[in-house]
Amino acid sequence: MGKLTMSIPTGRMKEESLALLSRLPQCPPLDFVNSRQLVVEREDLPWRIIFSHPKDSSTYVEFGAADIGIVGKDILLERENEVYELLQLPIGKCTMVLAAPLSTSREELLEKEALRIATKYPNFTRRYLQESGITANVVFLYGSIELAPPIGLADAIVDLVSTGKTLRENRLQVVEEIVPISGRLVANPVSIKTHSKEIYLLVRDLKEVMQHV
Amino acid sequence: MELVLGMKDSYPREVKRKREMEFVLRHLFERWGYEEVEPPTIEYYSTLENTLGDEAKERVYKFVDRNGKLVSLRPEFTTSIMRMYSKKELRESTPHRVYYVGKIFRYPSSPLRIEGELTQLGLENLGKNGVDTDAEIIALSLSALLALQELGIEDFMLDIGHVGIFQGVLSSLPLSHSEKLSLKTLLKKKDFVALENFTSISSHPLFPFLLHLPFLRGKREILEETRKNYPLNSPLIDALDYLEEIWNIISDFHLEEHVFINLGLVRDFDYYTGVVFEGFSPRSGYPLLAGGRYDELLEKSGNNLPACGFALFLERLMEVQKENLKESRLPFITINYPSRFRSSIFALAEKMRKEGIPVIMEEGKGEDIQVLQGKELIYQGKDEGKIKTLIQERFKSWES
Repeated sequence: MGKLTMSIPTGRMKEESLALLSRLPQCPPLDFVNSRQLVVEREDLPWRIIFSHPKDSSTYVEFGAADIGIVGKDILLERENEVYELLQLPIGKCTMVLAAPLSTSREELLEKEALRIATKYPNFTRRYLQESGITANVVFLYGSIELAPPIGLADAIVDLVSTGKTLRENRLQVVEEIVPISGRLVANPVSIKTHSKEIYLLVRDLKEVMQHV
Repeated sequence: MELVLGMKDSYPREVKRKREMEFVLRHLFERWGYEEVEPPTIEYYSTLENTLGDEAKERVYKFVDRNGKLVSLRPEFTTSIMRMYSKKELRESTPHRVYYVGKIFRYPSSPLRIEGELTQLGLENLGKNGVDTDAEIIALSLSALLALQELGIEDFMLDIGHVGIFQGVLSSLPLSHSEKLSLKTLLKKKDFVALENFTSISSHPLFPFLLHLPFLRGKREILEETRKNYPLNSPLIDALDYLEEIWNIISDFHLEEHVFINLGLVRDFDYYTGVVFEGFSPRSGYPLLAGGRYDELLEKSGNNLPACGFALFLERLMEVQKENLKESRLPFITINYPSRFRSSIFALAEKMRKEGIPVIMEEGKGEDIQVLQGKELIYQGKDEGKIKTLIQERFKSWES
């Protein structure tokens, strides 16, 4: 059995992921934070690393292109990939929230007829609305979600919030904290059988280093 | 003329590969004393309702028949076969060993997937329970994968587990019914992060065992290690002992090479009551075959019929099949002839076909008879006598 292939998201979580992994015993310094190389195969590394688009990381793992991967819980909630969710990682921490303009109270928002909610997470939002009994149209956007209420595209948004700065700048407030989000270690359902020992050891070592933050 | 979303057409090359697999497997099952049965394509939805989980129910194709009753395309065979053999006289003349081949229908789990219709080939042993019957079924599922090696199915493994493992853990956890259900859902969704955060049981002595389930996989020694490392209760000890007995039989059969004991194995269907198993390949993320024991499937209808069986997923097997197989057919022989040779060419073609050589006839406008093998012209002239020996020679040299 060769080395494990690990998928690591590029962007926001790349640096944090590499910092966490490099604290593992027997892991050499992971000095390619600024490298744009997408596949890293090096003798001294315990894994073959693939850098993936943050939204694709769990898909790589689901289809077996990677045995294990790091991915945000927001992506898992949206994509519902069939993967093992093994560990909660202390990286990429934020909250999925329902937010609305400062001028609109929660009651006013939920009383609206033909409520419109903009989001990058249409699947998750649809489920959330259904479970909380809110009837609304979901407007799927690729970016600048917080712009939707001020320009009249939507009455509220479902999106990730970390510091709340962007919300304040767009005169929005959190109406409900839906779910806390952070990075996860996931594994392919077949790889966890064929590489059970290696994956177990990685989980064990990660737990160990995470205790000494 | 659009293809229905989620469905797939199969062209000759692919169908041929599938039929080859079917042939090998049917042959194998027959030699183990199993006989083919054919349940209908549709069942009343009420027949399936009790045996399917919630997610599976949503994926059933349902419609209303002319009497207003809800009917469904079968999403699997087991329930249909159990219905067939729930008749009193059949229940009393057990055991029955039967197999089946056919399509199953499930709405794809995502609109991006082509899996609305899949081919299953499987078998059931009805009326017997006990470790020897379970071992027979597991040995047979292994033999099926081994028999497919000649068709390019390699690198497969078979994991054996037991529903008593998770049930054993559940039975000793101080949880309400609904908490137990959500625990089960988390396990099915493989969400061990949420499981770890199930704080109401985090101090329970079996909690570490529950969290380690995905990694408790190995050969016989995993049983000993588990007994040593965790404070097991009696249902768990029973399940482990049962797996050990099965392992002993499989190893007496010298079939243990591809087999692993996997204490974390969970199947989607809720009807399993004992041993469960899954065959898979590192080349695919989905099981190639799956099965287990379901002694209580008919219980809701008040009948008792112990049963154990499994099904192979042919499309998934074809996905992991190595493609470098020899082109398995002779390019068709085509005889193009002028009309005056019509009756002699027909007689010749019939003779060839009886010998097993596929021949296509085409009436042409030319003066000569032309014989083609695929696109290659192998004869042109007026001598019908020569054609016969020429074709036979070609066929023989291809066969050897």
